[in-house]
Amino acid sequence: MASEPRKVVVHLRATGDAPILKQAKFKIDGSDKFVKVIDFLRRQLHRDTLFVYVNSAFSPNPEELITDLYNNFGIDGKLVVNYACSMAWG
Amino acid sequence: MATLSNQGKIDISCWDGTISQHEFHTAASAFAERWNKFNAALPQCSWVARPKSPYLSSTSKDEGYLSVENVIMFPTPAAESCYGGDDKEGEEELSCSRSQEDDFIDGATMLQNHDDASHHYDFHVVYNASYRVPVLYFRAYCSDGRTLVLDDVEKSIPAISAKLLMLSKWTFITQEDHPYLNCPWYTLHPCGTSEWMKMLFSHEPAVDDGGVAVAKYLVSWFSVAGQVFGLKIPFEMLSSIGN
Repeated sequence: MASEPRKVVVHLRATGDAPILKQAKFKIDGSDKFVKVIDFLRRQLHRDTLFVYVNSAFSPNPEELITDLYNNFGIDGKLVVNYACSMAWG
Repeated sequence: MATLSNQGKIDISCWDGTISQHEFHTAASAFAERWNKFNAALPQCSWVARPKSPYLSSTSKDEGYLSVENVIMFPTPAAESCYGGDDKEGEEELSCSRSQEDDFIDGATMLQNHDDASHHYDFHVVYNASYRVPVLYFRAYCSDGRTLVLDDVEKSIPAISAKLLMLSKWTFITQEDHPYLNCPWYTLHPCGTSEWMKMLFSHEPAVDDGGVAVAKYLVSWFSVAGQVFGLKIPFEMLSSIGN
């Protein structure tokens, strides 16, 4: 099955006390891996460690394809990716 | 074993991210059932019940742990120890991914073929009554049975050596006595688990009917804990849990 280059709209949502990005909506190639989103967040927020998750209480493996994530977790034409930077130790 | 129905709900509006022993048992049954159904590429997952002790008046039927053993991983080229063969293969087919996908290059070093350079991992998911969360216990060894020390593990698992995402902030590797086997295993320390479990479920949309199914807890938990080792779980394990 040939994969056509299709762009996926990704919406980055800050949770907890994570900084909100000025630009939080992007288009990314469906053939890219999730690690691209993670790396982008790391650079934008200047943090090495981030907690990243989608709806359905799931944290995707960085190797997952964006198009697969969109197909499984996309809502209203976009993939919402939540991120958090810190937490209090329990 | 619990059925696939929604036994027990978590009301996440006032939830601290933890579960009871009984809820762990429910979640574990659901997890094992789905793992075995959808994760054909990895060894089967089984529930190991606590053996009955003649000294205890009763043993809760909920006590036990999940076991996935002999997961074979190849060390990255940076690793020493039993690395000897040629494992520079670039493309590997992962049957646990979507079946319609073509050959899939995966950075996680999980392969099916054996040779002397492979590392073997046993994973146990054990309930911790103090933190009220699951804990991932693991041990690693070479094909010849020689135990791998943490240094070898750290070098051979990309996510651990690079301290990506989870480690150093959300959890850390420590050595603990396995509560059932009474010998030292490595674990991912549970002190942060309730916090990130709470975060994972905080945007869970399926709350209209009173909560989120307990059955989902371990699948969600493993999506994070398993990532430390580059383990993926198929999306079907999530979507098969009806709400």
